[in-house]
Amino acid sequence: MKLTRPIVCLMAAGAVILILSASRDTRAVPSYSRQTGLPCATCHFAPPELTPFGRKFKLDGYVFRTKPEITTEDKDKKTHDSALHLLEAFPLSVVFDTSFTSTSAPQPLTQNGNFQFPQDISLFLAGEWADHLGSFAQVTYTVQGNHFSWDNTDVRYANSHDLFGKPVAYGITFNNNPTVEDLWNSTPAWGFPFTASNVTPSPLAKAVINGTLAQDVAGFGGYGMWNEHLYIGGTIYRSQHLTGTEPNPGTGSPFNIRGLAPYWRIAWQTVTKNNSLEVGTYGMHMKSSPNAITGPMNGYTDWAFDFQYDRTIPQFKNDVLSFRGTYIRENSSLGATFGAGLASLIGHHLNTVQGNVEYHYGTKLSGTAGLFDITGTTDPLLYAPASVLGSANGDPHTNGYILNVSWWPQQNVDLAVQYTGYRRFNGGETNYDGAGRSAGGNNAVFLLARFVF
Amino acid sequence: MPRILFHLVVPAAISVCLVALALPAGIHAQSDVAKVYKKNCVLCHAADGSGNSSSGKALGAKDLASSEVQKKTDEELTEVIAKGKGKMPAFSAKLKPEDITQLVAYIRAIPKK
Repeated sequence: MKLTRPIVCLMAAGAVILILSASRDTRAVPSYSRQTGLPCATCHFAPPELTPFGRKFKLDGYVFRTKPEITTEDKDKKTHDSALHLLEAFPLSVVFDTSFTSTSAPQPLTQNGNFQFPQDISLFLAGEWADHLGSFAQVTYTVQGNHFSWDNTDVRYANSHDLFGKPVAYGITFNNNPTVEDLWNSTPAWGFPFTASNVTPSPLAKAVINGTLAQDVAGFGGYGMWNEHLYIGGTIYRSQHLTGTEPNPGTGSPFNIRGLAPYWRIAWQTVTKNNSLEVGTYGMHMKSSPNAITGPMNGYTDWAFDFQYDRTIPQFKNDVLSFRGTYIRENSSLGATFGAGLASLIGHHLNTVQGNVEYHYGTKLSGTAGLFDITGTTDPLLYAPASVLGSANGDPHTNGYILNVSWWPQQNVDLAVQYTGYRRFNGGETNYDGAGRSAGGNNAVFLLARFVF
Repeated sequence: MPRILFHLVVPAAISVCLVALALPAGIHAQSDVAKVYKKNCVLCHAADGSGNSSSGKALGAKDLASSEVQKKTDEELTEVIAKGKGKMPAFSAKLKPEDITQLVAYIRAIPKK
């Protein structure tokens, strides 16, 4: 069957009809659920969006449980034996994604209407490892790579005490993606869109904190939440290239952190019965040498602000309305890239604005509308012309919108329809790449079936 | 970043944290039931039992000092802790019966604090 636009529209309409016929009550059981005995919806408005309980569960090191463990503990402290706290149930979960993607205009020399079965399969080691120590560790198989590869990981130790008469929850984290340790869904690692196609063209320009370093770094950091209001965190990162040789020779990698790259995070939150508000700032500084570990360096400093507001509406059976947004300002000094003749000037900046609003109809259905806008320094060498992925005028300006409807017939099954529309792509509306492609040609319909078990 | 910082301070910081990992979880003197309460109940009911933790507010956790809770019999409280109720999970698979009994007594003592 040829998947023409009318057929795709009919499929989307069919999915919407199914969604509207859905009822609300749901149950699910991934590994955190197996550990806590709680349904997914206790921690998630819809995965991966965290409720206040989910944020506290993460803050406390993923260790809360109601299920039995194998344990020995010397309560009398009369021996030199170590204690043991080991989950009886191994905390393993699986996510299976299968998808269909169609862009408005086919990418040259490729078949449009791309069906992936699977798009990816993720295995999660997610739960309590020991007393005060837990993880969210993910490995993912992708069809394109045809192998499993390390994915988002956050292993943390957490504890709590009192400070100035108020509780402080604190911990340390080992992770591999700046912002993956964060508690809110307004920062890049866990931000909207929560699912996405992996075959559609992506804009050229992206701030380093906005996913550029995901799974390409190893980080060690600490955090604390005082009085359930003030959150302060920081992590230092070094490059760790997947499939790269160790120690890192730098070759073949566009980013090789020189010294340490610090990431910081400060947020303030307030939670009432029906309202949850967070405002914060985050950012990082990095010096990096492309394809080398010595010689000229590029410098990047990202400053970002974010907010998240979740409003529970009792009059509508506790449906939840969420607003999220972030602004990232990146100032970069691309001395190494300039020296290599790949940038026409040294000083650059990049502004990224992302915002979205989402309505959760119970735990079964959610609809999200998001906007994004990327602007920055025009540089015809850095953002060079190339078919589909390049820029004809060197302008990184990209903006558009994303509409997503997710139906969770059970809390561990997600059927999603997503439409991404571009008004401008890599600096242009028409012929943006110098090869005749229009921004609207990258508009995409993405259908996803996700199974979590 | 100065090389000395990288070679000395960072490993030292990591070492301190790893030593902290190895320390006993509760270095402060705490009764067993207080530890059980802290580990299992504080997440929602808060340290003072008020339910005023962020997750407790969102989930509507009960104020353990309230008359609604305190008027329940010990058997009823034991059953709620063991079997769960509403959004509260069951703890019978994790906590021993004597732990639950002590928790009930701990809850009874909350209004007196």
